[in-house]
Amino acid sequence: MQQIDKTESDVRKNISLYSKRVRKSDVVLKMLIYFSALLTVGFFILLIAYIIVNGAGYISLDFLLSSAESDGLLPIIINTLYVEFFTLIFAIPIGIGAAIYLTQYVKQGKFVKLIRFSTETLAGIPSILFGLFGYAIFCVLFGLGSSIIAGCLTMIICVLPGIIRTTEEALLTVPNSYKNGALALGAGKFRTIFEIVLPCAVPGILTSVILAVGRIMGESAAFLLTIGTGTKMPKEVFSHIFSSGRTLTLHLYYMSGNGSVPDAMKICFAIATILLILIFVLNVLAKLLAKKFIH
Amino acid sequence: MDMFLEKKEFLNQNKKFFLIILLSILMLICFLLPYVQIIINQDNFCVTSLDILMNSKLHVTNAGSEADINFPNVMRISVFLAVLSPLAGVLFILLKKRILAAESFVIGAITPILSLITVSDLKRQIVDLNISSNRVYIGFIWPFFLTLIFGIACAIFSVWLNGGEKLAEAVFFCFASISVGLVFLITLYMIISGLPAIIEVGIFNFLFGFEWDPSCGKYGILYLILASLFGTFGAVIIGVPVGVLTAVFLSEIASKKIGFFVRPIVELLAGIPSVIYGFFGMMIIVPFIRNVFSDFRTFSQKPVVGDSLLAVMLVLAIMVLPTIISTAETAIRAIPKSYKEASLGLGATHIQTIFKVTLPAARSGILSGIVLGVGRAIGETMAVIMVAGNIVNFPELLGSVRLLTTGIAIDMAYSSGLFRQSLFGIGLVLFVFIMIVNISFMKISKRGVQIDATNR
Repeated sequence: MQQIDKTESDVRKNISLYSKRVRKSDVVLKMLIYFSALLTVGFFILLIAYIIVNGAGYISLDFLLSSAESDGLLPIIINTLYVEFFTLIFAIPIGIGAAIYLTQYVKQGKFVKLIRFSTETLAGIPSILFGLFGYAIFCVLFGLGSSIIAGCLTMIICVLPGIIRTTEEALLTVPNSYKNGALALGAGKFRTIFEIVLPCAVPGILTSVILAVGRIMGESAAFLLTIGTGTKMPKEVFSHIFSSGRTLTLHLYYMSGNGSVPDAMKICFAIATILLILIFVLNVLAKLLAKKFIH
Repeated sequence: MDMFLEKKEFLNQNKKFFLIILLSILMLICFLLPYVQIIINQDNFCVTSLDILMNSKLHVTNAGSEADINFPNVMRISVFLAVLSPLAGVLFILLKKRILAAESFVIGAITPILSLITVSDLKRQIVDLNISSNRVYIGFIWPFFLTLIFGIACAIFSVWLNGGEKLAEAVFFCFASISVGLVFLITLYMIISGLPAIIEVGIFNFLFGFEWDPSCGKYGILYLILASLFGTFGAVIIGVPVGVLTAVFLSEIASKKIGFFVRPIVELLAGIPSVIYGFFGMMIIVPFIRNVFSDFRTFSQKPVVGDSLLAVMLVLAIMVLPTIISTAETAIRAIPKSYKEASLGLGATHIQTIFKVTLPAARSGILSGIVLGVGRAIGETMAVIMVAGNIVNFPELLGSVRLLTTGIAIDMAYSSGLFRQSLFGIGLVLFVFIMIVNISFMKISKRGVQIDATNR
């Protein structure tokens, strides 16, 4: 609040044309604005501090690499990597292909409207419904059971709209003159796309991949219904995708409600810390890439 | 010279043409070779597609007992289609309708998926013969896989006859239409799997029944719906003012330096996994509620344990914050500078300008952010499941509740029969809510764009 002191300079200010009476409602509203911004930031700091202070002490190399069946973290980390890998390997080509079609081939018309509508719809459907759908289709109908591959297939649907949207934005920023130049030199459309448009949009596409990595890592509801609860180390590299295996987020969920494991809370805090750090790193990476991409 | 070129072109085309015919023959052969392999104990029953077409059942003998296994109709239809469509493809190629040919090859290649669906049906039939399911193995992967590969190859070659450019476009088109197909499939499947339970229980009893007790055959989800609605409503009531005011702070008041720190925080908040929010709620918010309201009792005279609708509202409010902040900030930033200048020029203060001019002008953008937040909140599962207490009650602020999402997530693992079907029914109800929210979001954001366009 601005106090009006009767000093010499202040009096002069009050006389001037531009001075304004301080309205009480203005002060209150301004306080409210500051208060809500402070609330948002304060909550963020509270969350981060609470989890990292409680969790950082537990993280050690031994803890991360223990492969004991009930509380070892290594199998869980491996499962998470499996899910990331097998989801992205399918989702990225499909997403980029769709974005190329939407930006380079057809820009208007009924079909494009339909595609836009359906990507937006997909983006709005909550992951529990994807989980339900994935459970009914991949686990039951396809007979895959609760397995990592069923989780991956479900997750592809979850991350697809995000990848399409970000890649589309990246492709749209490539100047038209580049494309026209290539076309004028006699390159075909396909060649122009692969040799001019895509290389120019690489940072943007990488950003979309990083966002998808973060999304998969943080996902839990879709996995809850599809991926099962396995905590075993993989016996074989490939056949592991047909066995059930929980991811880090699911492990955190199961541990938080599990009283029988002695160090459950310890593990929860440790996983939460790991997840927070990874999300932070991914965010910074995406930021850096986006900066490179704008200039 | 021209003649020579034409001849070369002709040869080139024909090479591809013969390749296609060869591939489609391979496709047929793969399909007609042992298609489904049923292995019971040590006995093999190889069933070729021809068998499936000709006979409707398979005679199984095992350890003295004999029985027939019926082939499901879907399987027979898929075999029929898979034989017919490569032939149709070749015919289309001859008629120079290459795109149609490619489509029929793709259909031929993916029809084995239809028979995949029926494998569990076959397995059930065998288990009905008192053969334990551990001793049954049904192999189908190889013929399925090979047909798929040859079919896709046929399709690619037949489009390639028009040149590489058309092929590329066709491939990208396929990728783009996957999301359309998925939405269609999800909608269809939600309805197909959700409706039977709703019809069996009765729409009125299902939607407006008070009691949810599957062990007694009571499937009323009114309390679940109410809990979801109240939770979302509370989250919006708490989250919207804070979110919008933070957005105002970021776009109008904060200096560049402060914005530089606060904006990444909002982005990080959006990226934090929901399980962590749930865990945080479980460790901080729930004990907090338990301690503060320890003297209170719920309407049903139960002590306050902390797992409650209030906790759900608080966690959801935190989770919708980033969505609302970023959408509202974008909307506020999109307001033309001239609006603000006009208001300031008339003598209004900065704060008056914000609340009387900027916010009303940005209201459609802010509204779409709120609707987006509502969609997030109503579909959130994992954070809610950890703080809600998950007992089916009439939703009151301090009592534990079960929401639509948590209802699905909790019971899925051990339900069966009508119970499981009713969970899909809950899924359908949730899906309808989400679609309403989604479509209104699209309407609002489109209208916002139009308003912005007319403003400029």
